[in-house]
Amino acid sequence: MADYLLIESNGPADGPAAARFVADAATLASQGAKVALLLIQNGVAGAVAGIDMGWEEFLSRGGELWVDRFSVRQRALADADLVAGARLADMDEVAKKLLTPGVRAVWH
Amino acid sequence: MIVPPSDMLLKVLGGPHHTELVTSLFRLAQALLDADASVQVWACGAATGLTSASLGDLKPRDVTDRATDYPSIAALAGRLVRAYPERLNWYVCRFCSEDRGNTAQIAEVRTRPAARFWEHVQAADQMLVLGVC
Repeated sequence: MADYLLIESNGPADGPAAARFVADAATLASQGAKVALLLIQNGVAGAVAGIDMGWEEFLSRGGELWVDRFSVRQRALADADLVAGARLADMDEVAKKLLTPGVRAVWH
Repeated sequence: MIVPPSDMLLKVLGGPHHTELVTSLFRLAQALLDADASVQVWACGAATGLTSASLGDLKPRDVTDRATDYPSIAALAGRLVRAYPERLNWYVCRFCSEDRGNTAQIAEVRTRPAARFWEHVQAADQMLVLGVC
């Protein structure tokens, strides 16, 4: 099974590209790939509850939604502000995932 | 030069004035090093300015806090390389640095021809490209 770590650094205010990236992630997940999508920097704004980035489709297809804890704290967001299904992740988890043999990583 | 093998190649494009990209680079590099990984950083585009010798050791004085010294990005990069001399190598693209007048670099980094980038990719088990020009 293909294993992906997709990293989105742009938020919904930066244009439609972030939502397209999420759609790509959902497509990969629907094809049977293991997909972890990390939101970082302004990308964490996309995980605020009420913002439709296509999370329901992504999560329903087995995708994992990681949100960078540091970026969340920098923006004074609370855990309760995030969409259901998201979980906070620290950089050591990201490093561990990147060092897993066979993982394909993309930064956007 | 034979490029030392590494677990991870982080190619970075973009300067500190664009986004928090450089913060993410430092955070990720530190996390990889904490996980005992060997890392190489390849700075391209505006990122060649991160280790420009002209930055000096300190940022310009904060007029609201004149007593505090804040290290420059170049000083932080040099400090990180010195902390992990066996597992961290920082390379700067010669073409991009010359194109931007950043030819004078700090001693901890090495300038490499753009045409040799493939050797760095070949020497790495994994690669992540951060940012755009």
